[in-house]
Amino acid sequence: MQHISVGMSGGVDSAVAASLLIEKGYNVEGIFMKNWEDDSNYCTAETDYKDALQACDALGIPLRSVNFSKEYWDRVFKHFLEEYKNGRTPNPDILCNSEIKFKEFLNYAINLGAEKIATGHYVRQKFVNGEVQLLKGLDLNKDQTYFLHGLSQHQISSTIFPVGDLNKKQVRDKAKKLGFNNFNKKDSVGICFIGERNFKEFLQHYIPAQPGNIISENGKKIGRHDGLMYYTLGQRKGLGIGGGYSEKNDAWYVFNKDIKNNELIVCQGNQNPALYHKYLSASKINWISNKCPNKDRLTAKIRYRTLDAPCKIIDLNDDDIIIEFDHTVFAASPGQSVVFYDGEICLGGAVINTAFN
Amino acid sequence: MYYFDNSATTPINEKVLNLIIKTQKDIYGNASSIHQLGRKSKSTIEKAREQVANAIGANPDQIIFTSGGTESNNQVLWSRLGKKKNHIISNTIEHPAILKVLEKLSSFGIKHNLVSVDEKGTVSIDEINAAISTNTGLISIMLGNNEVGTIQPIKKISQLCIEKEVLIHTDAVQCLGKIPIDVKDLGVDFLSLSAHKFYGPKGIGVLYIKNKNLVSPFLIGGHQESGLRAGTEDIASIAGLGLAAELVTSKIDDHMTKLNNLENKFKTGLISFFPQAIFNGNPDNKLPGLISVSFPGFRSDILMAKLDRAAIAVSSGSACGSGDIKPSTILAEMGINNETNISTLRFSFGSTNSSKEINVLLNTLQLILN
Repeated sequence: MQHISVGMSGGVDSAVAASLLIEKGYNVEGIFMKNWEDDSNYCTAETDYKDALQACDALGIPLRSVNFSKEYWDRVFKHFLEEYKNGRTPNPDILCNSEIKFKEFLNYAINLGAEKIATGHYVRQKFVNGEVQLLKGLDLNKDQTYFLHGLSQHQISSTIFPVGDLNKKQVRDKAKKLGFNNFNKKDSVGICFIGERNFKEFLQHYIPAQPGNIISENGKKIGRHDGLMYYTLGQRKGLGIGGGYSEKNDAWYVFNKDIKNNELIVCQGNQNPALYHKYLSASKINWISNKCPNKDRLTAKIRYRTLDAPCKIIDLNDDDIIIEFDHTVFAASPGQSVVFYDGEICLGGAVINTAFN
Repeated sequence: MYYFDNSATTPINEKVLNLIIKTQKDIYGNASSIHQLGRKSKSTIEKAREQVANAIGANPDQIIFTSGGTESNNQVLWSRLGKKKNHIISNTIEHPAILKVLEKLSSFGIKHNLVSVDEKGTVSIDEINAAISTNTGLISIMLGNNEVGTIQPIKKISQLCIEKEVLIHTDAVQCLGKIPIDVKDLGVDFLSLSAHKFYGPKGIGVLYIKNKNLVSPFLIGGHQESGLRAGTEDIASIAGLGLAAELVTSKIDDHMTKLNNLENKFKTGLISFFPQAIFNGNPDNKLPGLISVSFPGFRSDILMAKLDRAAIAVSSGSACGSGDIKPSTILAEMGINNETNISTLRFSFGSTNSSKEINVLLNTLQLILN
């Protein structure tokens, strides 16, 4: 029987993924991956490891551990810092998938004699004419194709996604039935290595903050910011400026960062046209099928857990892509990914550079 | 299971286990009580103290029982607190139960210097000599290293200590039964031992103290252990420790010969099909049966996983709370490059291993390495 290594995170999804493979008769081993070294109390690696171990014990399979923190630092975290220094908002979890989980971890598992790996991602795959497609998870609320759009044919076809056909409730019910301690563990949110800690404090530790002015859309100085890197386009909370600068008392939103002058540009009201764009340009394109889809009509997500927005590709070369949306989209942030879909098929994606009208 | 991880811990000796069970059941009095049961407990402890003293050439009143090597080390180091001569000298390849304690003590104003080691893991006496200042109060150097087995020149260091009027501690946790230990011959003031490294129970250890005025209690409370280690004694474990110490040292020549034979058989066999193997440590002065081997071109975590599948237990680097392996700081301090470092496994043999088991180990390794 095929030997499968399951990436056990300590969470409920990967634990259930392992159990589903065992039921299908695969020869399963768990591997716990540690990608971050941290002495602070925030690091949950040890707790996660214990949860993974308990689930593996309940399933009667071995659990091994591997440390990719050096690779993660070099190939994901450095890039993450670089992007923030440039005023962009990177998504390290996407890079972690293509560089660590589905590269280093995959190679490691193959080295250990596994034929394939498996993870607890809510995505599905379909083999069509010798090609593999990445499909959205059936539980659209949990669908994780957004984070896996950077994978290649080889990476996807070397992986099994056992929970892609289930919804979260089914997964939790199964975990409870199997006696996993993590059956009601809350879903991890945010960037994995930051966990529950204060994002600002974390970033300050690595990048010196440069406070500057907050400027309104009509050029008035209306406050101070702590450093451009702490703000994301479309952000409302945490600006530290109340109303009173104009007749309207609408909330303020970040709509631009002037890196050169270290200024944060804000506007009022979430319907403000300055926050909406019809076009965006992106680079570092990955097409899962290795080629550009020959379709006019696509949909795209510019952040996780948003509705797909109808769009078309209006310009494309080797490295850059320009998209036109049918309707303007809210706060497309440089550094985040735009991910393309044809119905339930995830076609791939690219990293947003600018949005414009 | 093929168990070649005896430096991590040893399986308990059958006689020791039986004594522990019997003691736990029958000798339940509090050793501080003066009734018959209390007296029985007290004499059980004192018998063990004598057994340990005999095992290392000490007097019984120089022995106190602790919870293990970690506590023994802590007690010696923390005893510098409040002393005038409070500077400590140690070295870069000590166990965390020394290094982390020194780090902590820095925040209490206790300064230390760590001397380096050479490529075989041996400390330099000249470097220690140069590090001694007028307020140096203690030198702590392990007797035999836990990862590479290198034996340090403690006797020479203790001669230096006498000259310079500095106290000397040695962490000998890896050593009992593997090399003869005589505290007078070594010339040390303090020595740490842990029962589970010589076929005794876990959670119990020894601190040898040449002169009881030289240390303060680390756990404070009742008057047990001459006021140097408070807390009701774990009589069964102490009895087990005493017997284990007696058993492993009374037949130390046999034990050493056995370990040496297993080691030679393993090394010769390994080189025959994997000549590129690198043996780390000091080949001329090492603990028998503890072998650190680098497998150039291989990752130790992969090798370990494959051996584990074949029910063979070895160890690698320093495993942490989440089970993953980091490059060994000890090998790094010895100047071994990162690539070689992460290709290193430690095989540590013990009294329960047989020549046949070494054959299984060699055959499995040959399959994995080809």
